[in-house]
Amino acid sequence: MSLSACLLDRRQFLAGTWQGLSAIALGAMLADEAGATSPKIDPSRPYAPRQPHFSPPAQQVIEVFCSGALSHVDTFDYKPELIRYHGQPLPGQERLISFQGPNGNLTQPLWEFRPRGQCQKMVSDLLPHIGTMADDICFLHSLTNKSNTHGPAENVMNTGFAFDGFPSKGAWINYALGSLGQNLPAFVAIEDPRGMPQSGPNNWAHGFLPAAFQGTPFSSTKPIRHLQPPPDTTHSQNRAAGRTLALLERENQQRFPGDQELAARLASYQLAARMQLSVPEVANLKDEPPHIRRLYGADSSNRAKAAFAENCILARRLVEGGVRFVQIFNGAYASGGRLNWDGHSQLKSQYEVHAQILDQPVAGLLRDLKQRGLLDSTLVVFATEFGRMPMFQVGTYGRDHNPYGFTCWLAGGGVKAGYSYGATDEFGFKAQENVLTPHDFHATILHLLGLDHEALTFYHNGIQRRLTDVHGRVIQEILA
Amino acid sequence: MVLAAETHWSLQPMKKTVIADKGHPIDFFIAQKLEQEKLDFSPPAHRTTLLRRVCLDLTGLPPSLALTQAFANDPRETAVVYAETVDQLLASPRYGERWAQHWLDVIRWAETVGFETNAERTQAWPYRDWVISALNHDMPYDRFILEQIAGDTVGIDAALGFLLAGPANLAGQIGRDEQAMRSARQDELDEVIRTVSQSLLGLTVGCARCHNHKFDPIHQKDYYGMQAIFAGLQYGHRRLRGQQNDAWTAQVKPTAKKLAALRGQLEAQRLKHGLRPALETIHTEHFQPILAQSVRMKIKATADGQPASLYEFEVWSTDQQNVALASNRAQPSASSFALANQSRHFENLTDGLTDNRQSDPWVAKTVGPAWIRVDLAQAAIIERIVWHRGPSMLADYEIEVLPPGEPTRVEWQRLAHTEDRLPRLDDIRPATDVSLKSLSPAQTENLLLLIATVRDQTTELARLSAGPQVYAASFGAEPPPTWLLRRGNPMQRQEEVAPAIPALLGEIGLQPGSAEPNRRLELVKHLTHRHHPLTARVLVNRIWQHHFGTGLVSTPSDLGRMGESPSHPRLLDWLALEFIAQGWSLKKLHRLIVNSRTYQQSSRPRSQALQVDAETRLLWRFPPRRLEAEAIRDSILFVNAKLNLKMGGPGFDFFNQRGGLSDYSDRETFEEDGWRRMIYAHKVRMQAVDIFGAFDCPDAGQMSPRRSRSITPLQALSLMNSPFVNRQAGFLAQRVKAEGGDNSPAQIDYAFRLVYARAPEKSEKKALLHLAGQHGLEQVCRVLFNSSEFVFIQ
Repeated sequence: MSLSACLLDRRQFLAGTWQGLSAIALGAMLADEAGATSPKIDPSRPYAPRQPHFSPPAQQVIEVFCSGALSHVDTFDYKPELIRYHGQPLPGQERLISFQGPNGNLTQPLWEFRPRGQCQKMVSDLLPHIGTMADDICFLHSLTNKSNTHGPAENVMNTGFAFDGFPSKGAWINYALGSLGQNLPAFVAIEDPRGMPQSGPNNWAHGFLPAAFQGTPFSSTKPIRHLQPPPDTTHSQNRAAGRTLALLERENQQRFPGDQELAARLASYQLAARMQLSVPEVANLKDEPPHIRRLYGADSSNRAKAAFAENCILARRLVEGGVRFVQIFNGAYASGGRLNWDGHSQLKSQYEVHAQILDQPVAGLLRDLKQRGLLDSTLVVFATEFGRMPMFQVGTYGRDHNPYGFTCWLAGGGVKAGYSYGATDEFGFKAQENVLTPHDFHATILHLLGLDHEALTFYHNGIQRRLTDVHGRVIQEILA
Repeated sequence: MVLAAETHWSLQPMKKTVIADKGHPIDFFIAQKLEQEKLDFSPPAHRTTLLRRVCLDLTGLPPSLALTQAFANDPRETAVVYAETVDQLLASPRYGERWAQHWLDVIRWAETVGFETNAERTQAWPYRDWVISALNHDMPYDRFILEQIAGDTVGIDAALGFLLAGPANLAGQIGRDEQAMRSARQDELDEVIRTVSQSLLGLTVGCARCHNHKFDPIHQKDYYGMQAIFAGLQYGHRRLRGQQNDAWTAQVKPTAKKLAALRGQLEAQRLKHGLRPALETIHTEHFQPILAQSVRMKIKATADGQPASLYEFEVWSTDQQNVALASNRAQPSASSFALANQSRHFENLTDGLTDNRQSDPWVAKTVGPAWIRVDLAQAAIIERIVWHRGPSMLADYEIEVLPPGEPTRVEWQRLAHTEDRLPRLDDIRPATDVSLKSLSPAQTENLLLLIATVRDQTTELARLSAGPQVYAASFGAEPPPTWLLRRGNPMQRQEEVAPAIPALLGEIGLQPGSAEPNRRLELVKHLTHRHHPLTARVLVNRIWQHHFGTGLVSTPSDLGRMGESPSHPRLLDWLALEFIAQGWSLKKLHRLIVNSRTYQQSSRPRSQALQVDAETRLLWRFPPRRLEAEAIRDSILFVNAKLNLKMGGPGFDFFNQRGGLSDYSDRETFEEDGWRRMIYAHKVRMQAVDIFGAFDCPDAGQMSPRRSRSITPLQALSLMNSPFVNRQAGFLAQRVKAEGGDNSPAQIDYAFRLVYARAPEKSEKKALLHLAGQHGLEQVCRVLFNSSEFVFIQ
């Protein structure tokens, strides 16, 4: 323990006024005026659990986000016509120009599809482990995105807006609900061991929400910055420094009786002290039994796969520790498809590498959550920024960006299992049936957490902002 | 629309209040409201508390030891000493460095483009320096507006960085489809409209991009009218006029003369060695007409050592047909082609597409020798070959032709070669790799040396001719037409729109075809009119906010219906009118505010007042608040005597790289260059800086007229544990030991005076002496840096 025992044992939260975090208070006041029901934040306990708008099926969320745009036509969206018309132009779009330029002919999936599970869902051989979990998954085949550029599109999927600077959905959820635990941050972002996703920290930013609600980035390979005291300080030095600081803070508080901001500062040092104990504990995967490590593939000799598997185990442990929203990234920054799912040039060989890393750990996570009874209260979200074209690009062995139709899926936490919703056209080019926007997707995730997406607001620059902008429809049809 | 221009408060003329009271006008308005709530002012703050407050507020730094002592010991009345100190602080360059940050927050200024590339804008910093200098020179606010919108008309280029403060995606990141390109342009202009309307007008015009504003009477047409004002705007660099520019311009002539002489030498060498002129970027090889079935090019080297590449390869027949075209059924092939996000296939050689922006090149997979070949559909008599360079430039090749006939009976014949070509200026191969038929190795080396000299001088001349550059808006003389877009969709153009301000503010009488820079000058004229209902109100409210933590209107970039009503409307109007009457002077406004009794009150809470007005909006005390990230960092360095006061120029780095696609890693240690004030850090959009980013530093994604002030465990961990803060604690301990006397009690006293500008209480001293005795003075300093008193304005 590094700050001080003294900081921990004499918790004294002073009587509440709206002095601290005035921006929050203001947001809340204006929201009341507008008839919305924004959360009331106690500035000395910004992560205290808060009531949702209604009783929800899900308490927590784990999202796996595939950066780079995972090809739906090679994974979950089975299109017999695409196989039949292989090598021919896309009817009516013979000269289609998309993000990188001209497209060539339709190209059949690069992996065989086969029926999986009781529901006989067609999933390709690229992701066989995830395929085995088809009976627990609710596939959404008709997602669309308004941007066909990775950065803005990742922004849309994770903040609802193409522009930089809007709060991420994890931050919104943190703001709405706080944490279930006492000793961990409410929102954790776990980067891919190979590097930062394309939209970088936008994906877990607080935007114009108070900084308290941002995601805390750390992973099995990258610890929280400055969690531990400098190596050249001793245990007793750190203890004594913490104790003395607490004393100075109390002296100062006496000069400012009733000041919430000062109380909140002391509380933040107390939570920091608890995190110094709890974070290393939750991140210490050594006590995971071998059969669990094997289930996720953490025993793999493929180092990237083993590290990603450990990230998935970490996500489960964080959820067990009460973290509200955990986001696991699969895929790193733009790299010609080498480090993420951006398969423009050599999709087959690159996807073989990425799928090795993704498949077993994600399936293992689903299975593990299920066997622990956590899947009922935990919503698992699997998302990407857009899909890929059913054609190959001219002159390459890969597919261009396709924002017109792609697949994401949900599992657990109150959604139908072994179910598919929405569809693209016969070639997988455009969403055609029950077309979904990212706003619908977000509205549904919030709904599953007991939040009305139209009521969860925060005032910024003239608008009561929402995760879903002025759009969004809860996909009632997929609710269990 | 509920809100009519006639009724909403912020669009009414500013109301003048005649004050009979002899006291300070601000106190008159504040007292009125307090009385209504049966509240009263708090007693004056303690002298040293007041000093620390006003120093942090005006300069972002605590008082120096000398100032603390002089202030405490001055026998004159507090009011006199205080007013004198305020004048000194306002005259200090530290003032501009502090207050410029507030403006940069409002307009989300940063030195990278944002989005996933987040590429660096290397020459954006002159704008930051311009803001600091404008504030330090107390540039009148109407002039401040003029230079930022139309600085080009008065020879001030850096100020136009204002219009490009926001993020904008790079051209290469925009899709090649028409919709993506039009959308990107709309997004670029949208950022400009948001910058201008929110920062200067306090109106959220941006909300009307897709539909009429939901709350304010701002119509879609108003949005596109604003867009038309900036229709000629281009993102990028422009010449930065001024002293440096003049100096460079003076060097253009002599440099050009020197270059001409060098070029003459090179030409003489070329003739002496019998070399043909260098290759062109679109190069034509002529030869005697010859019957051809196939043509091939054997590439031995490129000028820059990159893989061989070409956009197009044309073979022209005597009847003026490009017989190599795929559409003429010719078949291309090549030794290899690269795999990339776009096609690098050899089919690109003969696709007939020569606009490099719309077509793809052939690129060999690896560096080194490569070949391409075109087999014609039928034999043709050919007389010339034209090739278009790719990303790399060819330097050494042979072109051969194969006549029709049995493969065993015909042979390749050479048509063209480069062995007697003068190398190009951009040829950077080592001399040993260059083979020129008529030259000895020594002669080749000399020739290449001369070429390198000509190259360097050419670059230098181009640099001098272009002049110093700043990342700031440029304007074409004839702006393209602006259209109203149905639901903001760039593919659904409706009627053409004339440049205009939102109709609720009046008219500026421009036509769709109005020229540059009139469009912008008319806007400036409108904004700086002394009866404009918003310009001065918005600005004085921003200034008030930074003095008291909250503005009279708590939503500083929105004075529309969704914004909050002013807590003291008559005071706001009085301040705005006074501000204009005083020549739009910011320093006079600061002086007025900080010399009020309202500002100089104690900040201690009183429970009865808290119950009536917990947020202290009525100002029955000075509202204490946590300092911003910049002020915390700068103050740590200042009390250590480590702060580097170097002003201006390119910023220092918080990250190990400045822009790019991959991870940003935090720089771990800083020396003198990194101990400059934080406003001089190279600002990377969307990347929180280590330690201090956690203190609500805006990310420059969206505009941030008011920072949140959250309190998080990451802040605690950063201040308590980071190597930076601990090293600085060590420096403070060193300073205290060197200057504060040789015994611990004196050292604790000294540290307190440096950090808090006061002496310690008995209980504090006892605890810190104990800590120092057991664990060293460094730990005392570490604790002081973490204390609320240090990181608060009280």
